[in-house]
Amino acid sequence: MKSVNQHSKPLKLFLSSLIFILLFTIQLFAQEGNAENGKKIFNANCASCHKLDKKFIGPALKGITEKRTKEWLFSWIKDSQALIASGDKDAKAIFDEYKIPMASYPNLSDQDLADILAYTDDKPIENKEGGSTTGVPEGVDINQVKTGKKIFNANCAACHKLDAKLIGPALAGIADKRSAEWLKSWIKDNAALRASGDKDAIAIFDEYNGSAMMAFPQLKDADIEALIAYTSHASVLDAKSKDTGAEVSNVAEVESVPWATYLVLLVVALFAIWVYFMSGNQFLKFLTTIAILIGTGYFLYAWLMGIGVDQGYKPIQPIAFSHKIHAGDNKIDCQYCHSNAKHSKLSGIPSVNVCMNCHKSIAEYTGPVTEEKDKAFYDGEIQKIYDAIGWDKEKLAYIEGYKQKPIEWVRIHSLPDFAYYNHSQHVTVAGLECQTCHGPVEEMDEVEQFAPLTMGWCIECHKKTDLKIKENGYYAKIHEELSEKYGVEKVTVAQMGGRECGKCHY
Amino acid sequence: MASNKKYWKSVEELNENSSIVEKLRQNEFAEDLPTDQFLGDKETLEASSTTRRDFLKYVGFTTAAASLAACEGPVVKSIPYVIKPNEVTPGVADYYATSIANGYDFANILVKVREGRPIKIEPNKLAETTGTTNARVQASVLSLYDNNRLQNPRVKGKPVNWSTFEKGLASKLSELKANGETIVFLTGTTASPTTNKLIQDYKATYDNVQHITYDAVSESGALDAFQAMYGERALPDYDFSKADVIVSIGADFLADWQGGGFEVGYAKGRVPNHGKMSRHVQFESNMSLTGANADKRFMVKPSEQAQVLLNIYNAVTGNGAAKKTSVDAGIQKVVKQLKAAGSNAVVVTGLQDKNAQLVALAINKAIQSKVVDTASPRYVRSSSDAKVLKLVADMKAGKVGALLAVDTNPVYSIAGFTEAMKKVKLSVAFAMTEDETASASQYIAATPHYLESWGDVNIKKGQFGLIQPTIKPLFNTRQFQDVLLNLMGSKQSYYDYVKGYWNSTILRGKSWNKALHDGLTIRATAPVVSASESGIDDLLSNKINSVSAASALAASIKGSKLELSLYTKVSMGDGQMANNPWLQELPDPITRTTWDNYLLISRVDAEANDIKNWTVSDGALNGDKVNVTVNGVTVENVPVFIQPGQAPGSVGLALGYGRVKGLNSNMNVGVNAYPLYQNFNTNQAVSIKKVEGVHEFACVQLHHTIMGREEEITKETTLAEFVSKPKSEWNTPPHVSQDHSLVGIEDITLWEKFDDTLGTKFNLSIDLATCTGCAACVISCHAENNVAVVGKEEIRLSRDMHWLRIDRYYTSEMSVEKGKEEGIYGSAGFFDAQEQPSDNPEVAFQPVMCQHCDHAPCETVCPVAATSHGRQGQNHMAYNRCIGTRYCANNCPYKVRRFNWFKYFDNNEFDFNMNNDLGRMVLNPDVVVRSRGVMEKCSMCIQMTQATILKAKKEGRPVKDGEFETACTNACSTGALVFGDVNDPESKIAALKEDDRKFRLLEFVGTKPNVFYQLDVRNTNEA
Repeated sequence: MKSVNQHSKPLKLFLSSLIFILLFTIQLFAQEGNAENGKKIFNANCASCHKLDKKFIGPALKGITEKRTKEWLFSWIKDSQALIASGDKDAKAIFDEYKIPMASYPNLSDQDLADILAYTDDKPIENKEGGSTTGVPEGVDINQVKTGKKIFNANCAACHKLDAKLIGPALAGIADKRSAEWLKSWIKDNAALRASGDKDAIAIFDEYNGSAMMAFPQLKDADIEALIAYTSHASVLDAKSKDTGAEVSNVAEVESVPWATYLVLLVVALFAIWVYFMSGNQFLKFLTTIAILIGTGYFLYAWLMGIGVDQGYKPIQPIAFSHKIHAGDNKIDCQYCHSNAKHSKLSGIPSVNVCMNCHKSIAEYTGPVTEEKDKAFYDGEIQKIYDAIGWDKEKLAYIEGYKQKPIEWVRIHSLPDFAYYNHSQHVTVAGLECQTCHGPVEEMDEVEQFAPLTMGWCIECHKKTDLKIKENGYYAKIHEELSEKYGVEKVTVAQMGGRECGKCHY
Repeated sequence: MASNKKYWKSVEELNENSSIVEKLRQNEFAEDLPTDQFLGDKETLEASSTTRRDFLKYVGFTTAAASLAACEGPVVKSIPYVIKPNEVTPGVADYYATSIANGYDFANILVKVREGRPIKIEPNKLAETTGTTNARVQASVLSLYDNNRLQNPRVKGKPVNWSTFEKGLASKLSELKANGETIVFLTGTTASPTTNKLIQDYKATYDNVQHITYDAVSESGALDAFQAMYGERALPDYDFSKADVIVSIGADFLADWQGGGFEVGYAKGRVPNHGKMSRHVQFESNMSLTGANADKRFMVKPSEQAQVLLNIYNAVTGNGAAKKTSVDAGIQKVVKQLKAAGSNAVVVTGLQDKNAQLVALAINKAIQSKVVDTASPRYVRSSSDAKVLKLVADMKAGKVGALLAVDTNPVYSIAGFTEAMKKVKLSVAFAMTEDETASASQYIAATPHYLESWGDVNIKKGQFGLIQPTIKPLFNTRQFQDVLLNLMGSKQSYYDYVKGYWNSTILRGKSWNKALHDGLTIRATAPVVSASESGIDDLLSNKINSVSAASALAASIKGSKLELSLYTKVSMGDGQMANNPWLQELPDPITRTTWDNYLLISRVDAEANDIKNWTVSDGALNGDKVNVTVNGVTVENVPVFIQPGQAPGSVGLALGYGRVKGLNSNMNVGVNAYPLYQNFNTNQAVSIKKVEGVHEFACVQLHHTIMGREEEITKETTLAEFVSKPKSEWNTPPHVSQDHSLVGIEDITLWEKFDDTLGTKFNLSIDLATCTGCAACVISCHAENNVAVVGKEEIRLSRDMHWLRIDRYYTSEMSVEKGKEEGIYGSAGFFDAQEQPSDNPEVAFQPVMCQHCDHAPCETVCPVAATSHGRQGQNHMAYNRCIGTRYCANNCPYKVRRFNWFKYFDNNEFDFNMNNDLGRMVLNPDVVVRSRGVMEKCSMCIQMTQATILKAKKEGRPVKDGEFETACTNACSTGALVFGDVNDPESKIAALKEDDRKFRLLEFVGTKPNVFYQLDVRNTNEA
């Protein structure tokens, strides 16, 4: 287990979660459902096929208890096949809809299931649409401001910022300088405005050395009014998102409780001492000895098997890059940055010039903040990109003759040299989602190793996954022969040799 | 016929009572573990202060410490580019077309580049005959990462920067210019129009500049002859595919004769096609690669070779009478065949003599040979012996002001050059390493490797190749041409210069980018004969010339009791890549000896001089040493190797060894034979004297001896049998007895059969008729699969790591028919005649790698299932699963498994390329470097087949025939190795599988290999 610069000791985590499960199964008052624990179980068991908010391989699970009863869900998760076989209509309908049977989870206890449901019910805090107008100045339509923000981000943000000059001028409070009518004609077709001899328009054109602004004839007057509203009252939204951020961070602060581990160990130790030194019961001594031996063996084996398995490895990176902000909040496609994944064995860490595609114009962080990570913190992290490549964010130009400093990321997913893995095989040919192996990266502020990356884990998937023999022209002949000779219409990766040693070890 | 011939690898095998051979046949591992070394010495053990209990404590403690330490994984950094170049995708290889032109090897090649590092050389198939790679070209990529390379320019031994260097050099040169001193550029053959033009430009600015080209191994005689006859200083090209009869007198044209590269055409004529194939007769003294491939080989001393040539000349042209030689009967038959073949015949000679070469050209002219192409000659050699000798004399006389030696090493290869250099006022060496010449020079300009340079090369008339860098220069180096441009005060870089010259002179409107992409461009210009010598082409004068040449040759023949014939090896060549461990460890195709050169001698002469070779108990070879003296110059302590097929009265010695400067000390092997290369004549009168001492060879000829099955191991037949008799007579498939009847081996099996017709099934075909044994595939395999170099000592212990070996078998000409004819068949004398090794043996080459058996004996004995079978026919080896029992190797009938006795990387005991960061840059990142204690073997380049399949899957299409390749098939220039999907009925390999010549190695064992062979056919037709 890699422990340098890590957030928590995995062994401790492993033990404490084990004790947790132990405690919870003993707890008789259970069934109330712990959302925190539910999230863990969800990520470990459900996340490879389900998402909370949208359809993935299986359906979206947010608010599932509103659709189905608890009892039904329990029996479905534990053994969906049995439920279907029992003739349950809902179950059959789902199976028909998705065609793929869901895996069975008989190992999950009722408490676990209750926890999962607590997690899926735990509604994420949202902005209540127009609910409260506290803090909003009069005459400002908060919805209009929001629309304006959307339009701004889609059309203007590449060249304009609110509070600083970018390629074009800063736009905050622009309505104080220009009339709405002027702005409308300028935005729709500034060349025409200049041609008409408007002095202001020509002056701006000259100020920016004759680089003309794009025309936006597609924007309606209402859109432009919304834009103006946003440029004048953007602070309204900021105030709201700050509140939200604080709330979110409070939720995230809940920590696991290590003392429970020690308590249980203490109880076990006291019991053992009592048995050996105080009690005269030979049979009990014998039983305890056996139990301790088996227990030690069990944990020792589990510990030994965990050597070199870095699941959950979450090193501190040189830049506090958040996948949640990029892939989650801003919905940037994974392969926009990891563009090698479809061509190469390596997915590739994006080079700094890829970061600069966006960060040329995004020098400041505008999202929600916490006490620990305030705006200055995030801006400082963005500055690290500029330090690496040599970008002057004031002059908006690359510094000439700058000695560039590559960013030394800490590698998280690292297979041993003797195992060959090719991303393009899985991404391009098999069409797998990145999340299948890397987990819900779009929800991770800091990325951690989601899968164990053991050989058993690889093989397990190869055994279950069907090849796209009908879709891919490579398999045309193989498919034809298979169906002709054996009447087989689908084969798994393993059946076509995906379990042979030499396919990955050479 | 085949099964009646006896094959042997070493003379030792002919000794029926040899316990060593018996042991080697029975045991995969020749030596037991040397437990005696640490357990045998009882006294030391008793004297030790460590008690048994302490020892156990240490063991326990270290085991615990090691296992605790193993729990912490290392933190791995991933550092992306700051700005990624568009053409680089990490994990995907780029290919660049370039050319190699190092003065000895010339070829248009492709370079495989991973993440900006060149890692492999491949042939450029666009270039056809000039696009082939030999072993040295394949290995040249490793020289780029040579740890001994010069990293800075130096003045009088001190590192300086380039501006100081160039300023100093310029002032020195202008000083010399002011005094009217001569400035000499000594280069190897550049074959570069641009470089030659640049030196001419320089001549225009300084007078008194000479450009002398110097080939360490000269072809001056052939060049002089061609120049005299055709008016151009070049070498004729030969297309042996057009030849029905090839007569070679001492010409090793399948190796390095006249720059090499003739094997492509030769191989085309070696496969019987409609009952016809070429007939190749070789007259030679050393057993050469070419002689080993010949249909008929005559052992002839060098002095007698000239007479053989003359006799053929006289018989063909009808001039003069034949003089008696030892092979008159053979010559008569050859002449008859030559005459019958007419213009489809060719005569070539390797005699380094202008007259001899003139005579050979005259014979070809007389028979109007279609094989010789004098219209588009080759420019791969250009040295003039007379000019070089004059230069040395001038230098000694103090007539040379400055000597600029460019990528050439005359101090090593010309005797007396060191003294001559002392008389030169300014000596400059442009060199990659501080070799003999560089360390004797005042100025050393560190030059880049050719993979870091710009340039061009004109290998053959009308065919122009470009040299482009494939990596940013690793060190502070500057190529000669750039320095020259700076000295001339030009602001141009050499790249601009090349591009300008090409656009104006060569491309003339064609695209530069396309030429750069292809690596070459064809500009078939009309043959130009220089005006001053145009009269020479006249038939009459030619006749006069050749007749006078013949008489001059006849007059010059002077035999001696013992004659030395210097040669070059396919591995070492002229010696410039002596610091390349891949080449040092490459077994010579004939002697199968690594890390050495040695005096080749015939059995008769060895016995006369009381010289012996003997095999020691572990199968390694030892031999006596001699002093070799030519014209008063003695090379001392030369090991002697008794070579079957060596002409009695002759000895052979390889050039290119014995380098001492600019290389790792462990590469300093062999003796320097250049002092014996007097007046650039490879043939010298010589005397030898036995000296004290035993030499230990690293010879692999007895390694991996396949158990007791010599008669069955390789198959061959004659053209006559092949044409006239059914397959069952000359390629009998094996049968086994079952239920009192004979059944085919295919029909019997212990295992359950699974359906292997589904999907891809790889097969590899090896054509023994076209395999010349050149060993390019061995180096290619090394480079592709990160095979370790183990060094001389380990080779002696049979621990070589070559995944692919080329077995060389000797066999006798004595056959059953001949035995019956001579009435000795069935008697002991028959076997004696077969087994007399000093009788000129025939040679058979057989590349052997893992045979990828469908019923693999290795798989069934592995206790941990580390080796297993794949659906695609490959026998997999999971190194990380292997625990090193070596059961598999013991059970392999082909002896192709290699064990990692040591950690061969990062280990000072094995100080080769894998022991330094620079050398490790050549490693293929797709193939793991094996650790100590695991077994390894040929994987059929599964990383390449998997990549091909993936490419097809990504494009959603089936794999086309010819797409599947392995490192060995890619490197094979004759097409002897063919690889492909046997389940594709349209494929070449599927057709080869059904070929009549097909056989499998030890087929009767029933292993069902996925590698098969095409048997060799010899054209014994003497009529």
